[in-house]
Amino acid sequence: MSVFKLSRRDFLRVSGTAAGGVALGVMLPAGNATAGHSEHFEPNAFVLIDSEGNTTIHCGRCEMGQGISTALPAAVADELEADWSRVTVLQADGDSDKYGPQATGGSRSINTMYVPMREAGASARMMLVTAAAKIWQAEVDDCYAENHFVYNRKLKARLSYGELAAIAAELPVPEKPALKTKDQYRYIGKPLPRHDLGKVVVGERTYGIDTRIPGMKFAAIKHVPVYGGSVKSFDASEAEAMKGVEKVVNIPRFQAPYGSLGGIAVVANNTWTAQQALAKVKIEWDRGPHGGYNTNAYKAAMVEQVEKPAKPVFKRGDLKAAFDAAKVTHSATYVQGHLSHSPMEPMVSLVSVTEDACEVWASTQDPEGIQRTLGAYLGRAPKDILVHVMISGGAFGRKFKCDYVQEAAALSQAVGAPVQLAWSREEDTKTGYYHSTSVQHLEGAVDSEGNVTGWLHRSAFPTIASTFDPSIEWPREQELGAVINHPYGIRNLEVESGHAPAHTRIGWYRAVRALFEGFAFNSFTDELAYQSGMDSLEFFRKLYHNNKDPDQAEQVERSLAVLELAAEKGGWGKELPQNQGLGIAVHYSFESYLAMVVQVEVIGDDIKVHRVDCAVDCGEVLNTDGATAQMEGAVVMGMSLALYTEISFRDGEVVNSNFHDYPVLRTSEVPPIINVHFAENDYKATGLGEPGVPTFAPALTNAIFAATGKRYRSLPIKPVYS
Amino acid sequence: MSDKIIINGKEQTVDVDGNMPLLWYLRDELNLTGTKFGCGMALCGACTVHINGEAVRSCVTPVNQAVGKQVTTIEGLSDSGDHPLQRAWIEHKVPQCGYCQAGQIMNAASLLAQNPTPTQEEIEQGMQGNICRCGTYNRIKNAIASAAVQMQEVKS
Repeated sequence: MSVFKLSRRDFLRVSGTAAGGVALGVMLPAGNATAGHSEHFEPNAFVLIDSEGNTTIHCGRCEMGQGISTALPAAVADELEADWSRVTVLQADGDSDKYGPQATGGSRSINTMYVPMREAGASARMMLVTAAAKIWQAEVDDCYAENHFVYNRKLKARLSYGELAAIAAELPVPEKPALKTKDQYRYIGKPLPRHDLGKVVVGERTYGIDTRIPGMKFAAIKHVPVYGGSVKSFDASEAEAMKGVEKVVNIPRFQAPYGSLGGIAVVANNTWTAQQALAKVKIEWDRGPHGGYNTNAYKAAMVEQVEKPAKPVFKRGDLKAAFDAAKVTHSATYVQGHLSHSPMEPMVSLVSVTEDACEVWASTQDPEGIQRTLGAYLGRAPKDILVHVMISGGAFGRKFKCDYVQEAAALSQAVGAPVQLAWSREEDTKTGYYHSTSVQHLEGAVDSEGNVTGWLHRSAFPTIASTFDPSIEWPREQELGAVINHPYGIRNLEVESGHAPAHTRIGWYRAVRALFEGFAFNSFTDELAYQSGMDSLEFFRKLYHNNKDPDQAEQVERSLAVLELAAEKGGWGKELPQNQGLGIAVHYSFESYLAMVVQVEVIGDDIKVHRVDCAVDCGEVLNTDGATAQMEGAVVMGMSLALYTEISFRDGEVVNSNFHDYPVLRTSEVPPIINVHFAENDYKATGLGEPGVPTFAPALTNAIFAATGKRYRSLPIKPVYS
Repeated sequence: MSDKIIINGKEQTVDVDGNMPLLWYLRDELNLTGTKFGCGMALCGACTVHINGEAVRSCVTPVNQAVGKQVTTIEGLSDSGDHPLQRAWIEHKVPQCGYCQAGQIMNAASLLAQNPTPTQEEIEQGMQGNICRCGTYNRIKNAIASAAVQMQEVKS
């Protein structure tokens, strides 16, 4: 890791302020970054202090509600010994050379950027201290930084950061900045509020959809309803005659992973006119090769497939012998449907394409993806696409894919003006990138002492890889890694996969495969415990203790720790009123460890969750309130997908359209008590955007089983289109 | 018929198709972007504003229904962002992505205007139409309850 000082030209260009400041960047060695979808490996980010002491910290990662634009800048500010009230956080434009990998997904922001951000702050602090020592002609060791000043112990004097900025800017950047120890933290590990809360409550936080520039037009779109289909013909005469309509545009499918599905769009002088005109365009579709996709039939076919031998992927030991010698054997099949992310802000961007420039304002998780996709679409260098990263009104993985940005670019080209395209909720629901539907068939063998001696795990799901390469019709080995690297100590293990060609676009959804892996692992463990006549917690303990693989020692230790913490806090084993039950689940994903105990009451069809206790080990916690909020949100999203959310296809088209038939959790059903308990340890900080979700559904269904004896193996429990 | 609307205390002359939903009039014509689009069908509450003090879903309210009336959006809820609900929202650190929160606050303000001392159940009933995908529901309820208490204290 090396730290470099930006050139004066860069500093001026970025800051736009008068001279006399210190600007620092941070560079990671190539190969350290793990942004799976990035082509760039030169992260950097920086601090800026002007001569007044006003401090700007750029957040290179994309903000979508997860709080990264507070967590990372606060880590910088802490090491910098900055006064947080003097800090302005700015969302960085897309520029991976300057800010490092900006693709924000996989709960990787904290994992990859926490230490570099601290080093950026510490470097700046050391330079400010050195500058003060120079002025005083004092020893650096006699000087220290505190809350936006540098003090001299001997002289009993102080200089403000503003006074020091110009001198500090001339100093060499320290090779190895000294980081604070835990007891010196000012902001890290505290419940620091989001930096722009005040703007939210007065409606001044601007999201992608709020971008306004002179001369802009507004657009609405209707996509090809079936994946791979196209516009056969359309009649726009009535629409084009409407007052305020600029143009009706046929956007062909752009065959790139993040390209448009294709459709008809209307550009007009306001959104309403565009929507009204779009409804008047008569369109005939060519339905393409996927017009036969019916999810209920597809799931049934996948179930049939995994309930008999499938394609072997991994094998150890002698599974047959384990089953022959078992005291208890049991099998179960778990099924989950497609999910739509449905962030409150739909897909939206504003794009201006001119002959020599392309400027984008987008709610996005991946500015580099926009640069690549628009670069390919427009035939320009990715670097020539200027992307302003706007705050997303929720994203959950959906805004990683920039089809909506490419469409806005096509429209801007068509009308020769900047165009903002905002999808309707119906388009968001019907033409997304869906979380894969999945089936998993598990068979287990348990010996007379309650040890699981054999485990068969057959999975079938259309894979995300199919979005990038449609010829991929089976889950790949690496996508079964969480099963192959089984968390439990299982001597005899077989993993198989089933054929699952995709008939729609499959994409990352918050927690990705961990959603169904966590459901299957935890449900089946609870089932095996019951079949063996054992307490579930005791059974979980045994399974983890049986894992003696030294490579998994840390995973075992940390999984057990959160399991015990959740059990203790959630009152595992306590007496409950009639119709109530407790369920427990534990899962490791995205380098963080989660366990939950859910307390449920079931009367008839009414499922009421009274309480959830979450035990979280994400290593060092940067912001206790932010982390708690992530868990509260994970419980709510977990409950939505456990109870209600499923995207259903009939004849190739999504049946659902809006929140009435894609119902998400509303306030009356939210568990009134959601307790979040953090494991205390010194492990490195890891992300928490995704790992909170997978444990909720199985903890809930395990709790329902405890309360009623009814086992739900198919999610959602209350599908709209069954 | 008059074509004037008072929006956040300022008179506006409506010069668009009267069927245009108030939401798009506010956002696209007046650049009052604090009011958000979420569903277009009065299913999510993100677009909630007040007409003569009462919460309405602006995505399904034609602008001509607001003619001659007072419209309040999140930008005009208080003079300096210090409505008890706005303060409670900050105190309880409610927002995550924040996108739905203008609608939540406007809905809650109307709820408290009609029922200054709501029970937990009444808060839930009153807020049932407002969706938050980030899952800030419990903080919203706590913030409303504490704002209600504060407003009572100011009164007495």
